[in-house]
Amino acid sequence: MLELRNITVRYGQVVALDRASLEVAAGEVMALLGPSGSGKSTLLRVVAGLEPAETGTVLFDGVDLTSVPTHLRNFGLMFQSYALFPHLTVARKIAFGLRMQDRPAGEIAARVSEVLDWVGMGGLAHRRVARLSGGEQQRVALARTLAPHPRLVMLDEPVGALDRNLRSRLVGEIRELLAREQTTGLYVTHDHEEAAAISDRVAVLRAGRIVQTAPYHEIVAQPADEWVAEFVKA
Amino acid sequence: MTSTRRRPAAGALARWALWAIPLGFLAYLFAYPLARILALSLRGSGFVEAFSSGRLASAAWFTAWQAVVSTVLVVLAAWPLTWAVSRFQFRGRELARALVTVPFALPTVVVGGAFLGLTGRGIQSILAAHVFYNLAVVVRTVGGIWEKLDPDLTDAAAVLGAGPWRRFRTVTLPILGPAIASAAAIVFLFCFTSFGTVLILGGGSLSTIEVEIYRQAVNFLDLPLSAALAVIQLLAVVAMLVISNRLQRRAAPFTVTESRLPAPGPRWPWVAASVLGTLGLLSLPLAGLLARSLRGGGSGWRSLSGSGVAAVEPVGAIANSLTYAAVTMIMAVVVGGCAAMLLARSRLDWFDTLLMLPLGTSAVTIGFGFLIALDRPIDLRGSWILVPLAHTLVAIPFVVRATLPVLRSIRAELREAASVLGASPSRVWREIDLPIVARALAVGAGFAAVVSLGEFGATSFVARPASATVPTLIFRLLGRPGTASFATAMALSVVLTILTAVVILAIDRFRTGQPGSF
Repeated sequence: MLELRNITVRYGQVVALDRASLEVAAGEVMALLGPSGSGKSTLLRVVAGLEPAETGTVLFDGVDLTSVPTHLRNFGLMFQSYALFPHLTVARKIAFGLRMQDRPAGEIAARVSEVLDWVGMGGLAHRRVARLSGGEQQRVALARTLAPHPRLVMLDEPVGALDRNLRSRLVGEIRELLAREQTTGLYVTHDHEEAAAISDRVAVLRAGRIVQTAPYHEIVAQPADEWVAEFVKA
Repeated sequence: MTSTRRRPAAGALARWALWAIPLGFLAYLFAYPLARILALSLRGSGFVEAFSSGRLASAAWFTAWQAVVSTVLVVLAAWPLTWAVSRFQFRGRELARALVTVPFALPTVVVGGAFLGLTGRGIQSILAAHVFYNLAVVVRTVGGIWEKLDPDLTDAAAVLGAGPWRRFRTVTLPILGPAIASAAAIVFLFCFTSFGTVLILGGGSLSTIEVEIYRQAVNFLDLPLSAALAVIQLLAVVAMLVISNRLQRRAAPFTVTESRLPAPGPRWPWVAASVLGTLGLLSLPLAGLLARSLRGGGSGWRSLSGSGVAAVEPVGAIANSLTYAAVTMIMAVVVGGCAAMLLARSRLDWFDTLLMLPLGTSAVTIGFGFLIALDRPIDLRGSWILVPLAHTLVAIPFVVRATLPVLRSIRAELREAASVLGASPSRVWREIDLPIVARALAVGAGFAAVVSLGEFGATSFVARPASATVPTLIFRLLGRPGTASFATAMALSVVLTILTAVVILAIDRFRTGQPGSF
């Protein structure tokens, strides 16, 4: 279980996160929904340990992560820009996290081909990133995130850069994959349909504050305030 | 919670080394010798002598006018080839662009010797050698922009009723203007600080400030005057670098579109004449070099293995040059690599400028500084290590320029992604930064080797008879009467050219598909 308590992050005068608190149960997928600049990505970066919080605590399964560096957290983060390593083939990219865990070569190879099959990229294992389409890059990034069995998967607008048709299909596939691995998930989006499709519950962010946390249909039925009502209607 | 990351001690040590290595190197081998030169120039009557004897005035006047004339000639002579390779797509276009770069990489003594055989001593040879040497700067800098010029722009002008000449004058030229100015500034700087070429082809009567620094120090042992001239030269060069930096900044914001170039079509005779004519003229000095090395039944080549030519035999000089090139490569990659990593992580413009200064500073000044300053804390002046140290100082900017764009192109997110996937900070460096930058470092190492093989200005000061390099031996042989030593010099020049060409070909193999400059 992931627990955030009173996280505040400031960039100079700008408050990116304002006393944000959140609980995500094991195996639950939580969508972080809000307009751009509302602090969704910052929240992921704090959980990943890439961004220090000014105040507040991040706990996972009851353990305080404050002094645990990023590389020892065993979380997965899929970047909005995918951040694919340009010097590695598809298979090597996906194996990266497993190699960092010093898994035996045979296990790595088996897991890589398993994950590649999930995302439908079995034939492209030896390509380099320059030859991949946008949709293929997205799948590789997803496969790389899932391959090392992370305790928590964070996805930062994972389908934001793709066209509409592809998007709805991929959201369904991601949902399926998260369910298959029974992974706890944090899914950032600014699209409420996407949030509705992917998540068990939705946390609505506005200007660094979490204004409502509930299943999507409850938010639509009983919005916490007028702003939320406007936002989910749009 | 205050910080989610802990910095291990090893990381702090690595960061400290990143600062200490390049700064220590530059402080001891660049800043300190310059300070000693300045002190020397102020202590004696150097400046008084420089201004009163008229020597400075005549050297400065010659330096300036030959640089202006050379620059104008370079821009004009480069125009046909620049036009051909940047407006049309044809077979051999890439080859033409590669071949025009060859002279630029040739050692100055080789170019000097080649023109000595072709057109003799005198101003005509100096100008011709400068054109030969610098053509590539204009073809590359101006051509790089011109080939990306959106054809819609000139087409739009044509639709609006502008004829070919008018289109060129009102659309093409204004857009290319900054690139031309920036190329001209670089060429001017190279010609202004020209040393080996002028020393060999000037024949004692024509000398630039650079040559005068050398003559006063080495021939007349007037160190204060030499130091004063070096200070004046340095001030002039810094002023020019500032101006050329401004010009480059102006050239930067122009955006271009990638477009396919047309085939020459009916203009093919012009294109062919431009390409073949330019390359034909460029090949003359090199062909002459080869021909002269073979004169006298190949005695020049036979003498390479013989002795009695100088304190060091040609074979010994070749061995020296190869050793120094290897040492220079290692030192330049270590120091330049550290500096590039430092610059990639933080924008330190002052540090960038500081690193580029040795390139702008004349090689002669660097050599002279070594000679008067490096007696402390231990006396290095008799050691061979001074030669590769001087070469490293000149080569570092090339390593930095080759690696920095690649390092800067590594987005922070790549490192963060690796970190999230479980890579520790040192592992991130090993798995992400190093593999991506390795090819660029190899290119930088290649540049360092080319610099070392051809460097003459600084080497002429710091090389002892036993540590003579191929360029210094060629220079000595060129200064001797008799056709035998001239043939030997030509044969050595051919050897040096081949060595340089081998390194450049190796660099090109590593370069493909890399972002970068130069």
